[in-house]
Amino acid sequence: MNNRQILSAAIGSLLALGLVSNASAAGKKMDMEQCYGVAKTGHNDCSSNKSAHSCAGQATKDRDAEDFVAVPKGTCAKIAGGTLKSA
Amino acid sequence: MLVLNDDLSDFARAIVRGEEPSSRVVTSYQNYSVAIAIEVYRNNYRGNLHDTLAGAYPVIEQLVGKDFFRLLTRQFIGQYFSRSGNLHHYGAEMAGFIAAFEPAQGLVYLPDVAALEWACHCAYFAEDAATLDIGKLAQVPPEQYPDLILHIHPACHLVRSRYPITAIWHAHQPGASGDFHIDLDSGASNALISRKNDVVVVSALTEGDAAWLQGIQAGTSLGEATATTLEHYPDFNLQTALLKLVAQNVLANFNLGAAP
Repeated sequence: MNNRQILSAAIGSLLALGLVSNASAAGKKMDMEQCYGVAKTGHNDCSSNKSAHSCAGQATKDRDAEDFVAVPKGTCAKIAGGTLKSA
Repeated sequence: MLVLNDDLSDFARAIVRGEEPSSRVVTSYQNYSVAIAIEVYRNNYRGNLHDTLAGAYPVIEQLVGKDFFRLLTRQFIGQYFSRSGNLHHYGAEMAGFIAAFEPAQGLVYLPDVAALEWACHCAYFAEDAATLDIGKLAQVPPEQYPDLILHIHPACHLVRSRYPITAIWHAHQPGASGDFHIDLDSGASNALISRKNDVVVVSALTEGDAAWLQGIQAGTSLGEATATTLEHYPDFNLQTALLKLVAQNVLANFNLGAAP
């Protein structure tokens, strides 16, 4: 197949899918009002009043003053070779 | 002459850099000295930025653990000030910061995971765009297909890494079992980040698909991008790639001829 034929075949398959895609595009418009609902924890949703909570929880003096030995202690232990190589 | 701007700068330096506030900074709280009031304010400032970073980099936080992540963000916050009223813009430099962060040097894949997470973060907040108009595409005469310039959806990003970052990312998503073991030597990964129905999706692309998409992202025409990709990756299948990318909502629109 030459380049032109490859393009025609590939775009042809897209056009064949046209009806399906357009249907899902219409579905997306219907979903727009979910914008607030889909904001999950960890997505920084400002409307969730999250910042107010964090302020309340931290109305203290600087609590980061003490230093500790910096060793990663998370799930990185499950990634083989992750701590053995140096950059 | 003292102006409001000087006072605000003084105050900002005390909060952001931890400098001694000038004597012009006063507190209206009788039970607090200025020094303590500044410390409380400063801790809130840093606490909010920490939470912002934890929101943008949840996988990094899981990988290194909460204590290490707090140390990492504290140093980041000391180095990078918040420069936008929109907190969603904060944290863009994390991948580069981690690459230079001495205590994390052993975790060689960490900067790439951070780049992937930032791409997801940006994808989530990217503006919307119409999906590819198949009806409009059907009106293009086939002889003009090589001249098509495909536009990438604003939420779409490609992060290429020597490490299996796509697998690492998926192992840390809500609902994942937590029971995983990833071999860092299992190979490079091309993470495609896209957004479909307001949900950010991360999937892996083949080398050929990724090379083609990079060409398209750079504004290369369909014909040229495809020919170049086939030169380097003879197994590249345009039909499979197009169907996958359209399904992932990666292609937004198109025009003919030179890029706009």
